[in-house]
Amino acid sequence: MTLQVTKVVGGYSQIPVLKEVTFDVQDGELVGLIGLNGAGKSTTINHIIGLLTPFKGEIKINGLTLNEDKNGYKKQIAYIPETPILYQELTLKEHLEMTMMAYSLDRDKAWQKANHLLSIFRLDNKLDWFPANFSKGMKQKVMIVCAFITEAPLFIIDEPFLGLDPLAVHDLLNLIDEQKAKGASVLMSTHVLDTAEKYCDRFVLLHDGTVKTEGTLPELRQALPDAGESLDDIYMSMTRADQHE
Amino acid sequence: MNNLYRQRLSSHLKEMFKYLRLVFNDHFVFALLIFIGGLGYAYSNGLKELQPNLWWAKPVIVIVLLLVLQLGRFATLFQDADVVFLLPKEAEVRQYLSGARTYSESLAVVYELFGMFVLLPFIQVTDAMPVFELALIAVAQLLLKDSLFSLAIVRRFQVKSAWLKESVWFKWVVPLIILVASVYGMPMVGTLLALVLAVCLRVADKRYNAVPFDWWQAITLENNRMMGVYRFFNLFTNVPMLKGVAKRRRYLDWLLNIVKITPKNTYLYLYSRGIVRSGEFSGLYSRLTILGMVLLYFVRGTWLPVALAALFLYLIGFQLIPFYWQFDDIVFTHLYPVEEKQRVNSFRRLMFSLIGITAVLFLVMVCVANQDLTVGLVAFAVELIEVVLMVQYYLPLRLRKKK
Repeated sequence: MTLQVTKVVGGYSQIPVLKEVTFDVQDGELVGLIGLNGAGKSTTINHIIGLLTPFKGEIKINGLTLNEDKNGYKKQIAYIPETPILYQELTLKEHLEMTMMAYSLDRDKAWQKANHLLSIFRLDNKLDWFPANFSKGMKQKVMIVCAFITEAPLFIIDEPFLGLDPLAVHDLLNLIDEQKAKGASVLMSTHVLDTAEKYCDRFVLLHDGTVKTEGTLPELRQALPDAGESLDDIYMSMTRADQHE
Repeated sequence: MNNLYRQRLSSHLKEMFKYLRLVFNDHFVFALLIFIGGLGYAYSNGLKELQPNLWWAKPVIVIVLLLVLQLGRFATLFQDADVVFLLPKEAEVRQYLSGARTYSESLAVVYELFGMFVLLPFIQVTDAMPVFELALIAVAQLLLKDSLFSLAIVRRFQVKSAWLKESVWFKWVVPLIILVASVYGMPMVGTLLALVLAVCLRVADKRYNAVPFDWWQAITLENNRMMGVYRFFNLFTNVPMLKGVAKRRRYLDWLLNIVKITPKNTYLYLYSRGIVRSGEFSGLYSRLTILGMVLLYFVRGTWLPVALAALFLYLIGFQLIPFYWQFDDIVFTHLYPVEEKQRVNSFRRLMFSLIGITAVLFLVMVCVANQDLTVGLVAFAVELIEVVLMVQYYLPLRLRKKK
């Protein structure tokens, strides 16, 4: 089991945003983290990547918590943030080198992979540019390339589809499939429900800091029989029911 | 819109006073008083040695007036978001600009008058002009400044004509002609020309009412201005707003390539590129180093140069310490599986190289200025001890304290 989140209570200040959140991501599985704005998706992600410390509860990656082995834990995560974040002073090539150094990757192998990815995303002629000046979609691609050269067993991807062109969305989904086949796990938060429906193996529906439902699409349909067929229907009925309460 | 400018001005002034308080702290005021006193004394001494009718006196007056004319910029206080939020208010942007003009121009008038006040004794000594002529020159100068503000407004509209936008003509060439006329015995003509220019530009400015406002241009110009202000304050204190644009500086790549690409050097790789390519810290470092070298060139003695070199070395090292946290707002800095100890070591190596280079340059300067073996040896010993102390003990201590 790659990622195990157990009864996590947490947030930015004293007031908890997450209330006993529990879910897991198995090896070779793509789990979609679905929720409205402010439902706690990013907070959950920030806890997993170690930017925030849970007040209560525990997060384990392959049996390790952050406190047990800081670097062992961090090494297992590749993170793609929602808004691309880049070093102003580093060129595209240097971003890749930084990642290779930080994750102690074998340079030749990593560069092979990087060149392959760069050509997929048509960035191979921009190695000497500052990506900080790229458009949002291109910055996002840089983030993707950096994440996918790490060979981490767990990918945390925060809303990847906005800003990417349709071609890049497909390429990203293919990459995710490749990683899954190799046994890596992926946790992806998104609002693009029809894409999520097609590609995710399982869903965690987050609402108001709690996990409302969790499971595969058939399982969700079973849990909410009147809601409808698609993930969109199920999700809408769930949030609507919640607003009426 | 008028209220908006007033609001922004008051918060802008509040911010400026906050920084001014930091700049004019006790030590600095003391140093500044001595500095100004010394400067004034040197100026008055210099004046005593001048005779009337020096050939270079008039050109100097013209050049100084021309330079003073460039002081005082147009503070529109526009912000990035204005292009979205004020777009529907475009019709009222005139009102806003006139508020901005009132403030900027009154400040500029103070600069101009101060500049002329300082220049006055020089004019009196070298060129016994009648008071009336002096007054005319002052009027011409103020009219020229007024024209520059009209032009500044025109430049912020989507004006097509290139010659109006071209800053060299109206900022330098035209004022130069008018000032030459004024100083070289035709103050009437100069003032009249300045008046015509000021009136024409004000009329032109009004005529551009129908032209759409150039939000991008206006915002860029204002951002540049604020950048300059922050950069000035950054000489004395830390300015969080200062986020310069990175420059590629390819010619320094050989220096960066010294850093070997191994996991141990992750942060050294980042820090070295950061310092070379961002304007902020490298500017600070090179300015202080050059300033120190210039001072050391003029200072003679046994202990004074050594003490001065030591002081500057400490100052530079001290100012560089916050660079350690430069990349903390980038999330990956926290995600990399790299130990904090390695980061500290990387930073120490960077610091050692930087102040090491400065120390060597200072030592060369001390030797050149004094031409004395003992002084050189003492300076070498003191600097060596200081660099080691700073990198080995002081820096880790400071980094730990902040944690």
